[in-house]
Amino acid sequence: MSETWMIAGVWIAAGLTIFLFSFLYKDNPFFKIAEHLYLGAGMGWWFQVYLYNIWIPKVWDPLAHAPHDWGVLIPAVLGLSLVTQFIPKISWVSRYGFTFLMGYGAGLVVPASLATDFMSQIVGTIKPFSALGSMSAFSIFNALLIAVGVISVLFYFFFSVEHKGAVKKVSNFGIYFLMVYFGAAFGNTVMARFSLLYGRFDELNAAASAHNFYATQIILAAMVLYFLVHGMIGKKPSAEEAH
Amino acid sequence: MKEILQKFFKIDRRWIFLLLAIVLFTPIIRPIGLPNKTIARDTRNAYEALDKLPKGSFVLFSLDYDPSTRPELQPQATAVIRHAFRRDLRVGVVTYIAGSTGLIQQIFEKVPGEFKKVNGTDYAIFPYMANPTAVMTQMASDFYGIYDKDQDGKDARSLPVMKGIKSYKDMAMVVNITGTSILDSWVALVGDKYNVPLVAGVTAISQPGYGPYLQTGQLKGLIGGMKGAAEYESLIQEPGKGTSGIDSLNLGHLLVLALILTSNIILLVIRYL
Repeated sequence: MSETWMIAGVWIAAGLTIFLFSFLYKDNPFFKIAEHLYLGAGMGWWFQVYLYNIWIPKVWDPLAHAPHDWGVLIPAVLGLSLVTQFIPKISWVSRYGFTFLMGYGAGLVVPASLATDFMSQIVGTIKPFSALGSMSAFSIFNALLIAVGVISVLFYFFFSVEHKGAVKKVSNFGIYFLMVYFGAAFGNTVMARFSLLYGRFDELNAAASAHNFYATQIILAAMVLYFLVHGMIGKKPSAEEAH
Repeated sequence: MKEILQKFFKIDRRWIFLLLAIVLFTPIIRPIGLPNKTIARDTRNAYEALDKLPKGSFVLFSLDYDPSTRPELQPQATAVIRHAFRRDLRVGVVTYIAGSTGLIQQIFEKVPGEFKKVNGTDYAIFPYMANPTAVMTQMASDFYGIYDKDQDGKDARSLPVMKGIKSYKDMAMVVNITGTSILDSWVALVGDKYNVPLVAGVTAISQPGYGPYLQTGQLKGLIGGMKGAAEYESLIQEPGKGTSGIDSLNLGHLLVLALILTSNIILLVIRYL
């Protein structure tokens, strides 16, 4: 890619970032442009991904070139059948595709998830108690904490028994574990969002260099100017001025 | 007094946005160099799991993230791949996120050259594939049934880096760096089922959710968010984008703490004094 195109790309990226951030100040046409462009470009991007990475190598090439693999017609037709749901008269055909997807998906995922997320987690909770003698005091405390947390949270989500008396106390105790989890998750979410914002700012800083002809500064100044002019033009005259 | 304090709660939130922007942007222009002194146990475990592998072992990297999570995950991927090359491990790269291909290219344009690693001999990059669960299942019996060519169209079987590799049992480890739930599939369909050691790098948001897999040993290590990337960079002693982001993150967190404390103190003053 030529240098000119690279710099043009930097300008577009910096511009779109600033246009989208400008919504934090207030809604404006530049934000709308960036928003619509994002949707359109996203659709175009996915179309070419599916065309060049799936349809051509996985369907067209095996059918068009020797040795022909006619077997790919079966999944291709099943996949195409999903599209028929947009045509009411023949939408029933899509059921074949969905049936295959559901059967295949459930068969693949259910046993694996049961082993991974159910059995392994139960084993992981119980296993430390088989080696208590060789564990440090902190490890024992850790194992107990996990076991108590699992049991009390399970009680909290067990609705077939009325939550009163001992059950209520245990399930209430489970709430504290849930609160700790939600707190940790929220803290991490804040950190993640800041990381993403830092990433964009880092890109804007790179676009601000002389090599990129000060893309960030120029676009930012243009946006500020737009808001100033728009603010002045759009200002309603006061009652006194109107007379 | 109370009336003045009440005004604090009516402050235009755009001032807070501006303050946050200044706080995050300033360290980019003028780095403060705040140290990253704590290394999380899970990041250290990930580092040690890779570090213990014998020279020449084959590690499959599944890099499944797109530009939306790039600031957190690209530094992680770069650091772990640097570590793998430094340890002279063979590297294979796959992806199930179409948006990842350009980001993988960015890493491999730069990092292999630092260690004089050659495409095809020391590492191989395979093209994007849709439907990860089907691909993961197929790779268990025949890797080349799915990836018969690398991304440059070269025959995968004949690549020196792929010598002796046919399925998961020939791989020393799988490293999945992802901003999606693909990691769940790697754990359930590959790690647990075929006993392949699995190390992961995830966004900070999803990090707490993967804690149970660490406790049971289903994951050998976990790198979380930009903080995790900075920790891994510290372990391999190669400061990168993760480390440089720590200044901004620290200041951003301090701002949030200051705002929470200030608003709570003001609220208490208004209510009880």
